[in-house]
Amino acid sequence: MITMIVVLAVVAVLVATLVSVYNRLVRARNTADNAWAQIDVQLKRRYDLIPNLVETVKGYAAHERATLEAVVAARAQAIGARGPEEQAAAENMLSGALKSLFAVAEAYPDLKASANFAELQEELAATENRIAYSRQYYNDAVLTYNNAIQTVPANIVAGMTGFTPREYFRAPGEERGPVQVGF
Amino acid sequence: MGAWIAAAAATGLWLLLLLALAVATRNPDVEPGPATGELAGQSPAVVDLITGDWRLCDEAPSATLLDLAARGVVAVEEIGPELSLVRLRGEPGDLRPYERLVYDHVRSLSVDGVVATGALAEGSRDLGRWWKSFRKKVIVEARAQGLSRPRWSRAHALLLGVAAVVPAAAIGIAVAADDARHDGGPGAAIVSFALLVTLMGRLNGERGTAEGARAAAHWLGVREHLRATGRFAEQPAASVTIWGRHLAYAAALGLAPRAVRSLPVSTPADDNRAWSDYGGMWHVVNVRYPSRLLWGRPPGATILRGLAAGWFTGFPTWILLVVAAAFGVWPDGLVLPAALAVGLAVAGLPVVRAISDLGGAATVEGQVVRLRRFPDGGKANDTSKWTYWCAIDEGASREVRAMCLSEEMWLPLREGDRVRAVAGRRLGWIRRVDVIEGSRLRDAATYDDTGEYAVDAPENLGEVRVLPDRPPGAWDGPADGRRRPE
Repeated sequence: MITMIVVLAVVAVLVATLVSVYNRLVRARNTADNAWAQIDVQLKRRYDLIPNLVETVKGYAAHERATLEAVVAARAQAIGARGPEEQAAAENMLSGALKSLFAVAEAYPDLKASANFAELQEELAATENRIAYSRQYYNDAVLTYNNAIQTVPANIVAGMTGFTPREYFRAPGEERGPVQVGF
Repeated sequence: MGAWIAAAAATGLWLLLLLALAVATRNPDVEPGPATGELAGQSPAVVDLITGDWRLCDEAPSATLLDLAARGVVAVEEIGPELSLVRLRGEPGDLRPYERLVYDHVRSLSVDGVVATGALAEGSRDLGRWWKSFRKKVIVEARAQGLSRPRWSRAHALLLGVAAVVPAAAIGIAVAADDARHDGGPGAAIVSFALLVTLMGRLNGERGTAEGARAAAHWLGVREHLRATGRFAEQPAASVTIWGRHLAYAAALGLAPRAVRSLPVSTPADDNRAWSDYGGMWHVVNVRYPSRLLWGRPPGATILRGLAAGWFTGFPTWILLVVAAAFGVWPDGLVLPAALAVGLAVAGLPVVRAISDLGGAATVEGQVVRLRRFPDGGKANDTSKWTYWCAIDEGASREVRAMCLSEEMWLPLREGDRVRAVAGRRLGWIRRVDVIEGSRLRDAATYDDTGEYAVDAPENLGEVRVLPDRPPGAWDGPADGRRRPE
């Protein structure tokens, strides 16, 4: 009888521990998913701004076709990217294309003086900043989640229930260290 | 004896006069007006004052920031459930003095025009002075709008001051008559006069005018409307984009605690949860202050403490084992080895850690995120000894263990300084620290607390409730958990 009680008690403690650890892992995973969703919101905001920007530049510098097409292509590739690693690479390419576009704009004083262009430029800079904060928030959430599923004893529960490590959303090379927002 | 009775009677009469004036100058009764969504012309901070029984609650600065966001001076953006940003948007234009105070604080903290909402508690300002300056400016505006006035008019102050001469003189005479040898009468009279005038000053405060009572009644009607129509209690600060100025007024009226909590403009920075902008972006750093048993002491002192601990455990163990051996329950040959083993085990850990730190101190480079000093043991009231703590964010982890250092090194440091420190990582003791780059907060925009309103708004303005009991049914100040600063 005593043996039975001891066994039941041990099983109850084990089950309670498993449930507690599992719930903690689920919370960490949901936080990471939520953080990724926040990045997605900011990225979509940037994608939505780009067509307006391209149209505005086209109005003043229509013959800069190659630069404009590169931006449109980079945007399309970024929209189609899947997963943090692929997304980060596509965003890096899009940032490069946008930089080229703004460099081109330097040669067109009328374009630079356009209020619409200035507004779009400012809005894009603010969006870049939000993306940077979202990325930091996501990477912090992924770090917490990955630590949770890789440390003992949670790794045992994670292994049994299919929790896998998440990828970080890597910053483009030039944005490591202090962030400089602007074009 | 007769002189003392006369002095007591004079003091009693003066206190009665004070009480009578306090009753005569109490705040007007405010009956909440009909529920309405019409926002009148007062700012959220002034609304906070007049609906808070003419005492400013500490929601006012947060409500002011929300108002600035609603007016487009700044933007509040939500990045995640635990991260929102305040973004400066161009030139703010004409702001009221207290709005400028809040704006300057946000600007002083911003990096690339952005500050995390949680980081609003950071900075090197003196919070007490900042709050007084804010309060004075709000009160001045309320007075200018005819909504508020000082409790004591010049006539009241003159009457009470002149009348206080009588009990003070009576006390002086009583002391002189009681102890003619020491001639303490004049001194007692001066001290008594000072005490009575101080009491009078302490009971001073802001009181509402009839116009103020009408405005407060209107705003209490707005409060009823907002309470019935919006779920402001659950709204985050970023929802100001949707709700506009209504959220700012809801915050001032105590209906939006979540939004207010997320904008800690007038809240002291948390000891354990610091916001750092090291690396160019605001992020949270959790700071721990480990127990000082094996942490936060110089290596030499740690070795001495370790040896002492080893001795004070090894020696009693040896005595115990000698006695045990005498009774035959412990082998004679193991008395000394066992006692030595116990002593060495106790002394070993601190000594090894200290030697390790002596041999290989690490260079720590980062930003000072917390500088604190805590009483070091002793009696509860004994604050003569302090432990000085410094937490450095190296950018590698969101968890930081604060380290200790000497007072001489601690004093010149400021939160936000970029430093290079030579420290022992096992004992958490900083041997040397150099400031690479001073905190940008040192040169941040200052605030106007130069005492321009000192005459009309003494420091205790709005802090003292003279008559706590109000007639039944009357509005009795914020009963909704709104807080007033200490």
